[in-house]
Amino acid sequence: MTTDATARRRGGAAGPGFSALASNEAGLLLITVLFALLFANLTPGFSSPFNVYALTRVLAIDAVIGFSMMVVLVTGGLNLAAGAIGVCAVMVGGWAMQVAGLGVLPSALIAVAFGAALGATNGLLTVAMRVHSFVVTLATMSLFFGAMIIATGAEAFNALPAAFTGLAKLRTVFFVSSMIYASMVVGVLLWLLFRHTLIGRQILAAGANPAAARLSGVPVERTIVVCHSLSGGLAAFAGLMLAARNGAALPSMAGQLGMDWLLPAFLAPVLGGTLLTGGSLSVLGTFLGAAMVTVISNGLLQLRVGEFWVQAFLGLILLAAVVLDRLRAHLIERRRA
Amino acid sequence: MTAAAARLLRTDWFGLLVAFGCGALALAISHPSFLSTFNIYVMLTAFALSVLVALSQMVIVAIGQLNLSVGAIGGLAAIAFAGSMEVWGAPVPLAIATGLAVGLGCGALNGAVTHYTGLNAFVVTLATLAIFKGVNIGITEAQPFYDIPQSVKTFGNARLGFVPPILFISLAFVLAVLVFMRRSVLGRQLLAVGGNRNAAALSGVSIGRVVIAAHVISGALAATAGMIAVARLQLGQPTIGDDWLIISFAAPVIGGAVLAGGHVSISGTVLGVAIITLINNALVLLNVDPFAVQLLLGALILLAVALSRFRDPA
Repeated sequence: MTTDATARRRGGAAGPGFSALASNEAGLLLITVLFALLFANLTPGFSSPFNVYALTRVLAIDAVIGFSMMVVLVTGGLNLAAGAIGVCAVMVGGWAMQVAGLGVLPSALIAVAFGAALGATNGLLTVAMRVHSFVVTLATMSLFFGAMIIATGAEAFNALPAAFTGLAKLRTVFFVSSMIYASMVVGVLLWLLFRHTLIGRQILAAGANPAAARLSGVPVERTIVVCHSLSGGLAAFAGLMLAARNGAALPSMAGQLGMDWLLPAFLAPVLGGTLLTGGSLSVLGTFLGAAMVTVISNGLLQLRVGEFWVQAFLGLILLAAVVLDRLRAHLIERRRA
Repeated sequence: MTAAAARLLRTDWFGLLVAFGCGALALAISHPSFLSTFNIYVMLTAFALSVLVALSQMVIVAIGQLNLSVGAIGGLAAIAFAGSMEVWGAPVPLAIATGLAVGLGCGALNGAVTHYTGLNAFVVTLATLAIFKGVNIGITEAQPFYDIPQSVKTFGNARLGFVPPILFISLAFVLAVLVFMRRSVLGRQLLAVGGNRNAAALSGVSIGRVVIAAHVISGALAATAGMIAVARLQLGQPTIGDDWLIISFAAPVIGGAVLAGGHVSISGTVLGVAIITLINNALVLLNVDPFAVQLLLGALILLAVALSRFRDPA
């Protein structure tokens, strides 16, 4: 399930059955299910129809936010501006729907294209200046967010057409929000991209070892620009889902400079086994990582552990996850030696 | 003469000083109120806080790492400082010690985790950012501490002509960091680790000691900034530190720091803060949308990086 530059690095001698069970994804799924069962037993509110609906709605959004960071992490870079791009794109989409009177689909397409364009700007600047994307996206998060606040006067678009906000209100079997299918479709498309297309394979190769990839004829710079525009487009898509849920395009929906998205954006891919050093990612892992975070934070809220403590818990989970991952890598190395 | 001029141009601070001088001169001519006692007091107050935030980040940039949790440490120290006075009725010196201890502890945690796990400081400090901020919100339930002793309030609002007394605290820290980085063994080792970790280790530098020391110093500077913010705001606001991220990176980068580590400029960072303060003030005087400062800061970081690329094409 992990998409790697070198085809099957983690299979090992233990055989396919064992490695599937021991994989990161299986572990995440197990933990998530255990937590869900625990919460369902502890509080009736957790498995209530409304909570299932609310939970899957949050999961749908957080998974796409995670994807948006994942596609940049695979290049060995990162995108601090994901939240800022998401908000900027949503404001453009909100303007298109409310002021320009365009239909829902054209407006959404414009928003996603705008997000991709902002992402491409990040990619082009990173490549042109030959610096780490950290400093570029740090600067552009401030730049994009500041420009958006000035352009909109910090005013929300809160008369969005019902056809748009209605998309977030659909419930399907078992009260699952319809938005979850949208994020699943996005996930499958991403999996196909990295598994079966030339540019996807080139991105993985360039992320794993840029020098070697360049010598093998991979256009490394182009893969970086593609990943950043993909990240921008995905951030815009996540923003649209959030706007549909809120029923309005709010400049404050991702917090100051869009920084409220940073934690979910990193939690999902890092828990899912995407390496920060690039070259390896897991689409399913990112989705399951988002699921685990959503279930745990929702469960803690339902248990009334104190809504104010949830952020501290999420930080602890991220810290524990990266430390454990490090430990695992260390143990694997030892066994080989 | 030309050799001296060329040497000046190559320093980190000369160009910034010229930029600052030109900006200040232009503002002084176009807006006489720029030089009013009150306006200078306002600028120096903002400068005093920002310079501590910038130094807190600069120390970590020196070892080639990043610290996303500077603002969260400042916020947690701020509410520890204010909370210990309101809830436990602690005397001011004890409250300052509590706030400082929180900063040192948070820094030590950042340093120990990055060093012993070998993890990227980015992801470690992102996690601790959430933990520190989360503990802050958990304790305060997002409500400020209002009951600040009069002596702290008086100190935060005092004016000696155009000089705010908090400026002396900041200047003392700038001086201390300057002496530390230039003259002390540990300070030189910080730069050695940032420049080339392996070479430093082979030369007998204890990497762990240096990394943890840098994070502890960063935590202490952030905590001091947080407590100064309490004195200025006259309340222990849980949101203190939320907007420090951009400025903490902008000033060292404008000042010529290389984010890969090994080179930082204290004079450059201080001038970077001065330029940012000047821009902020100019926007107020020119009646520009205050949010334009975010746009300008972003552009300024990009410009600084592009310039350093131009000056030193690698």
